[in-house]
Amino acid sequence: MVSVKEITGAEGLSRDQLLDLYYKMLLARTVGQRERMLNRMGKGPFAVTGEGHEALQVGTAYPLKPGHDWIVPYYRDIGVALTIGQTPLDLLLAHLSREGDISSGGRNMPSHFSDPRLHIVSGSAPVATHFPHAAGIALASKLRGLDELSVCYTGDGGTSTGDCHEAMNFAGVHKLPVIFVIENNQYAISVHVRKQFAVEDISIRAEGYGFPGVTVDGNDVLAVYAAMKEAVDRARRGDGATLIEGKTYRLVPHTSDDDDRRYRSREEVEEWTGKDPLVRYRNWLKENDVADEAKLDSLHEHAAREVDEATEQAEKAPTPKPESALDHVLVEERLAG
Amino acid sequence: MAITKEAIKTFGLTEEQLLEMHYKMLLARAVSVRQRVLQRMGKGPMTFSGEGHEAVQVGTAFALRPGRDWVFGYYRDVAVALTVGMTPVEILRGFFARRDDISSGGRNMPSHFSHPDLRIVSGSAPIATQIPHAVGAALAAKLRKLDEISVAYFGDGATSTGDWHESMNFAGVHKLPMVFVCEFNGYAISVPWRKQAAIENVAVRAAGYGFPGVTLNGNDVLEVYGAMTEAVQRARSGEGPTLIEAKTYRLQPHSSDDDDRRYRTREEVEQWAQKDPIVVFAMSLHELGVLDDKSEQELNDRVNREVDEATDKVEQESTPEPESALRHVFVEGGASNG
Repeated sequence: MVSVKEITGAEGLSRDQLLDLYYKMLLARTVGQRERMLNRMGKGPFAVTGEGHEALQVGTAYPLKPGHDWIVPYYRDIGVALTIGQTPLDLLLAHLSREGDISSGGRNMPSHFSDPRLHIVSGSAPVATHFPHAAGIALASKLRGLDELSVCYTGDGGTSTGDCHEAMNFAGVHKLPVIFVIENNQYAISVHVRKQFAVEDISIRAEGYGFPGVTVDGNDVLAVYAAMKEAVDRARRGDGATLIEGKTYRLVPHTSDDDDRRYRSREEVEEWTGKDPLVRYRNWLKENDVADEAKLDSLHEHAAREVDEATEQAEKAPTPKPESALDHVLVEERLAG
Repeated sequence: MAITKEAIKTFGLTEEQLLEMHYKMLLARAVSVRQRVLQRMGKGPMTFSGEGHEAVQVGTAFALRPGRDWVFGYYRDVAVALTVGMTPVEILRGFFARRDDISSGGRNMPSHFSHPDLRIVSGSAPIATQIPHAVGAALAAKLRKLDEISVAYFGDGATSTGDWHESMNFAGVHKLPMVFVCEFNGYAISVPWRKQAAIENVAVRAAGYGFPGVTLNGNDVLEVYGAMTEAVQRARSGEGPTLIEAKTYRLQPHSSDDDDRRYRTREEVEQWAQKDPIVVFAMSLHELGVLDDKSEQELNDRVNREVDEATDKVEQESTPEPESALRHVFVEGGASNG
C-alpha cells in the first residue's frame, strides 16, 4: 500500500518503504546481537557484526536491484546482505557452519556473504581484496552492454590498501558503473583514522580518480539513501563511478575476538550510542507520523520472532558431512576433450 | 620561460652553479646518446634513455645533499645519478655489465643505479617497488632524528600502482621527510596518460594524502629547482612530504627494445623536441650572459671528451669472473645460525 501524501524529507519513499527500511535495520541489529550471543554460548565459532552501521548498510543497499546489480561486500555487511534478500536463516546457517549455508556450505568464516541468486559475491578475508573484483565485474557489465552496476563496500582501513587505489583508478579511467561505499567507523580494528590517513574526509580522494566523492552522515538512513540513489542513477546513465563515505561508528568490538576497551574509551562508545541510527530513525518515523509507538513495537517483536525461529531452525540443521570436505576444492567433473 | 636575473636571485644560485647544472644536463644527454649508440653496435645489452628528462632530473637532484639524503631513482634517472655524484665511468660500467660496476657488479639491468656512498639505493625492475623503500628510509630518518631526507622518483605509470598509494598515504600519516618526484612524460611505455588516469594532473592526488602537490613545467630546470628547494625545506623542517609532478617528454623510445612509432606520432615527438630542456636552458644562459658561444663550445667538448674517455676505459675493463656468479646471492662469511 503506497501512501498518497508525500512525506517531507522521505526522499520520495512511500510509507511502506520507510517502514521496510526500518525493519531491515532492526533485523540486521537483531541478527548481529544474536550472533554475538551464540558465540558467547560457545555455539558459533566467531562473530563479526555491524551494530551501528545499519543506516549505512540498509540505506545504500536499498536503491539497488537485487539479483541484478552485483554486491561485493565486506564482513561487516549484515545489513546489506539482508536488504538485498538474504534471510536471517541464511546468515545463521553460515554463523553456525551448517551444511545448508548458501555462502560456503559451512566452510568460510561467518559474515563472508555469498549468494549466487542475489549476485552477492564471495570475498576473501584479507582486507580490500574484493575491490578489484568489483571493478572487474563493472568492466564486464560495461563491455557486455548490461544494465548492471556493482557496489563495493569496505571500512576506513581498506582505503589504505593498494587494491583500493588500483580499483578506483581503473574505475575512473574506464568510467565503470561501480559505487565504492566506505563505512568509515573511525577504527581499522584498533587503528584510529588519524593513524590511517592524514585527511578529514576520505571522499576527497575521488577527485584524484576523476569521479565524484561525497561524505554523508552514515547514521542518517535517509541521507545515505539519497546519496546512494544519486550514485546509482549516475552509474546507470553511464556517467561512471562514485565514492560514498558514510561516517558512522561500530557500537560493539570489531569481532568476538576483540576487546575494544584496549583502544577506545567507554565515554566515546557511550557518546556514539547516543547517536544510534535505529533510535534516530525511529524518532524520525514517529515525528513524521509514519508510524506510532505501537506499530514500531510490533516491528521489533516481528524481527525478534523471525530471528528466534531462524536460530532454532539453524541449530537443528546438520553440519557438513566430513566426507564432503574436499567438495568445491578441485574441479569435480573431468572436462570433455 | 626565459629566466631573469631576479629569478636566479630568488633561487640563490651562482653563475657557477648555473653552469654546473647545464654541465650535468649535457653530461646526462651525452651518456644516454652514447649508450644508445653502443647498444646498436651490439656492445651493450639494453639501454634506457633519459633524453628529454634532464631538467626534471638535474633540477631536483641539485637541491639534495649527496651522500646524506637518500635517493630512490628509477631506470630513467641517469641525470639524477650523475648530479648526485656518479661518474660516466660508473654509469657505463653498469651499462657494459663490467666486474667493477658499483651498482651490481655487472649483474643487474643497466640503469638500475645503486651507490652506497652516495646513498643511491638499488631498485628492482618492477615499477614503483622503490617507493615503499623510500618511505621506509624516511621513517627511519625521522625515528632516528637524523637530518636526512628521502626522494622517490617515478614515471606517470607508477602512480597507478598500489605501492605508490600505500607509500603516499603512509608518508602523509607520519609526516615523513621526503619528496615524491613524478617525471610525467605522458606515456607508460606505450600507454598514454588518458588511459592511465581520468585526471589531467596527478598532483591533485596529494590533497587526498594530506600534503601539497605541485604541477610544473618539467622542461624548465630552474622552475623545477625552485619547487624542489621548497619541498626539500619543507621535508627538513619536519612539515612532511611534497608531491612534485614535472611535465616533460621522453624524446627517445622507452628503451632499446621499444619502437615508439607504434604508439605516438612523429609530429608529437617533433613538437616536444622544440622544447628540449637543454636547448631552452642554454638559450637562457646566453641571454643572461653566463654562457657565450666560446664557453658553450668548450663545455660541449669537455662533456664529449669525458664520455669518450669513459667509454674507452670501460670497454677495456673485464667482465665478472664466471666463478663469481653466486657472489652476493647467499650470506657469505659464515653467518651464525645460533
